[in-house]
Amino acid sequence: MLSYLIKRLLGAIPVVLMVTLAVFAFVHLLPGDPARLVAGPEATAQDVEAVRTALGLDKPLPQQFATYLSNTVQGDFGTSLKTRRPVAEEIGMRLMPTIWLTVFAMVWAVAVGLLIGVISAVRRGRWPDYTGMIVAVSGISFPPFWLGLLLINLFSVRLGWLPTGGYGTWQHFIMPSFTLGLGVAAVMARFTRSAFIEIAREDYVRTARAKGVPERRVIWRHSLRNALIPIITMVGLQFGFLLGGSIVVESVFSWPGVGRLLVDSVSYRDYPVIQALVLMFSLQFILINLLVDVLYVFANPEIRYK
Amino acid sequence: MNMKSLLVSTALGLAMLVPGTVLAKDLTVAIQNNLTGLDPTNVNDTLSQTSLRLIYQGLFGFDKDMKLVPLLAEDYDSNADATEFTIRLRHNVTFHDGTAFDAEAVKVNLDRLRDPANNLSRRSLVSMISDVQVVDDHTVKLILSQPFGAMIASLAHPGAMMISPAALKEYGSEIGRHPVGTGPFVFDRWSADTLEVKRNDAYWKEPAKVDGVIIRSVPESGARMAMLQTGEAQFVPNFPPELMKVVENNPKLEVTTSPSIVEYYVSLNNNKAPFDNKLVRQALNHAVDKDAFCKIVFSGLCTPADSIIPSGLAFHVTAGEYAYDVEKAKALLAEAGYADGFTADIWANSNTESLRAMQFIQQQLAQVNVTLNVVPLEAGVAAQRIWSIESADKAEVQMYYGGWSSSTGDADWGIRPLLLSESAPPAMFNVAYFKDADVDAAINGAIGTANPEERAGFYATAQELAWEGAPWIFLGVADLISAQTSDLSGVHMLPDRGFLLEDAAFAE
Repeated sequence: MLSYLIKRLLGAIPVVLMVTLAVFAFVHLLPGDPARLVAGPEATAQDVEAVRTALGLDKPLPQQFATYLSNTVQGDFGTSLKTRRPVAEEIGMRLMPTIWLTVFAMVWAVAVGLLIGVISAVRRGRWPDYTGMIVAVSGISFPPFWLGLLLINLFSVRLGWLPTGGYGTWQHFIMPSFTLGLGVAAVMARFTRSAFIEIAREDYVRTARAKGVPERRVIWRHSLRNALIPIITMVGLQFGFLLGGSIVVESVFSWPGVGRLLVDSVSYRDYPVIQALVLMFSLQFILINLLVDVLYVFANPEIRYK
Repeated sequence: MNMKSLLVSTALGLAMLVPGTVLAKDLTVAIQNNLTGLDPTNVNDTLSQTSLRLIYQGLFGFDKDMKLVPLLAEDYDSNADATEFTIRLRHNVTFHDGTAFDAEAVKVNLDRLRDPANNLSRRSLVSMISDVQVVDDHTVKLILSQPFGAMIASLAHPGAMMISPAALKEYGSEIGRHPVGTGPFVFDRWSADTLEVKRNDAYWKEPAKVDGVIIRSVPESGARMAMLQTGEAQFVPNFPPELMKVVENNPKLEVTTSPSIVEYYVSLNNNKAPFDNKLVRQALNHAVDKDAFCKIVFSGLCTPADSIIPSGLAFHVTAGEYAYDVEKAKALLAEAGYADGFTADIWANSNTESLRAMQFIQQQLAQVNVTLNVVPLEAGVAAQRIWSIESADKAEVQMYYGGWSSSTGDADWGIRPLLLSESAPPAMFNVAYFKDADVDAAINGAIGTANPEERAGFYATAQELAWEGAPWIFLGVADLISAQTSDLSGVHMLPDRGFLLEDAAFAE
């Protein structure tokens, strides 16, 4: 297991290198002159050139890439073109808000999604199934943007129970994590339901029932455990996406997260920030995939890694 | 403990728990975008610049009507050809770190800003200064390498605000993270989306009435509105017109509108046919209904343009009127040889308002058989295709819809970057590639003197000639909208879309 993990991690290095090169090439191919954007709408040609020199954008591209690569390896992600703060600091102060929001959203969404999915599958074709699936389809269909504003209007403006937005106390988490998690919960519910129905047709489930195992045990031990493999994969994927930060939820609830940072950076052509963020997102995905593979072992002891 | 004191303490305890009954009086301002930095000499957006006016002050500044006023300076005089300015400084002013504000501090600041080696983005404000002389503790003399009549207005720009020399020495290029000025508030904290400042009790004027100011970036306009309704924010500058009704129906809120100095126009590339023909340019001006433009694009919160600069700028004159007259437009086009019209591309930044404006212009010009292709450009692409071109003859732009705000409040920065022939991109912003020797002469004449009456004469000429030359389709000057809670007073929008918060106070 351990040697497998090490092998997987080493295997990730070429992937990260490729991503680094691709991102660098991509941001530099984007049309648009960052020096002009940084210098601002009123800058003269002279101002723009001053900015270009100050930011090192006047150097040839291969040289810029070499500098970027060697700095990155040493853990130096450079300075934001826009705010002139270190990129690590820019990302650092937004990473935890995004991670916490993702964790809160995922925890409730997976729990609720699983429960609805299992109940719908077990009571297939009856009212709990219909109710569950109506809720799930609505959850997918609610535009988070509209839902967020609706929640703010109800719970902040009319009732005065929750703050409209921002990052701070636990109250600040309620509406954003609900809005963010709703789509995930809906996907989880539908996914669990179909995985569960699939499993219910398997021979071992029938065998378990035939030999008189209590229904509760059949559902939670025999069926769910076997349905877990695709569900874990799904949770991993969703988690990876959410860690990239939701632009809509972060904007509506003025959440200081990485999603908004990425959008702002792209429209500002803030190369160092874009590069560092995309690199970080790809690392996150690699780690989550690894974690998912490890979790398979716990879900299904037959899986062995060598 | 008797019953009464028990009740009182319980009530106080409850008051602490209920949100909204905060006793400290901080002013929270919700703005749309993030601040980009805290070094005034190196930021370029109005929001950052105006927020920095809480901490920093310049030798000169603006009052709420954007009229030039002395701040850290007491007064000044200059020689006749605007090459020497002697500025007398205010006494008994100290920076937040206790450093005295004196002539030496002014010299350190201006020398830092004008030194090309520092690569500061606002250098062009003072690049014409060749020497800063300390005459005595409270007098400085600026020697210019060329005449520049708008010098004092440039010094009122936030880019030329005064930073503590001790802090500059201590923090160097990191000064943007440790701002130290002379302003009404002292820097406290700057996080991902919030700037917090506290009252400066040692302020040289009367200290501020609020304990502090919190500037929070809240990108979604509905959320800014909600913050105002819940009392989490008390002032929302640049309020969206579509939400005005909601505010007007709420007795706890107030909305204020006032004219801006942001003029909108469609610049026509005077180098390219058919826009190289003045008759065509004038025809297009007659073909667009400016009142309708204001109604459609700015919900009526806008005034039709009557000159190349808005009336809120110093030295503005009413230059004329292109009455909405489709028949006259058609006749002029026929005279120019375009009776059957023509086809052209119109560019603008990609946002809702610009799209609406371009579609409106498209519809208006269709009446005179001119077919427009509406091309929205993402900001980065626009920067490259319009402003960062190699030379004027490589310019692809035909028509460009945009707006301009003169951040020095002076006619110079409202006209020179846009209509002087030398200002064609990439040098500056003459995206009409307008070239008129008489207009050039008037603009340069105005720069060559510091005498306000002479400057006024030159600028009147420039405005009348440029209006007649019609380098643009002149459209309108947008109004500013801000919303606030009714218990707040003393906050003002500035015509350049900035705001003044120094006199903010809450009613008891």
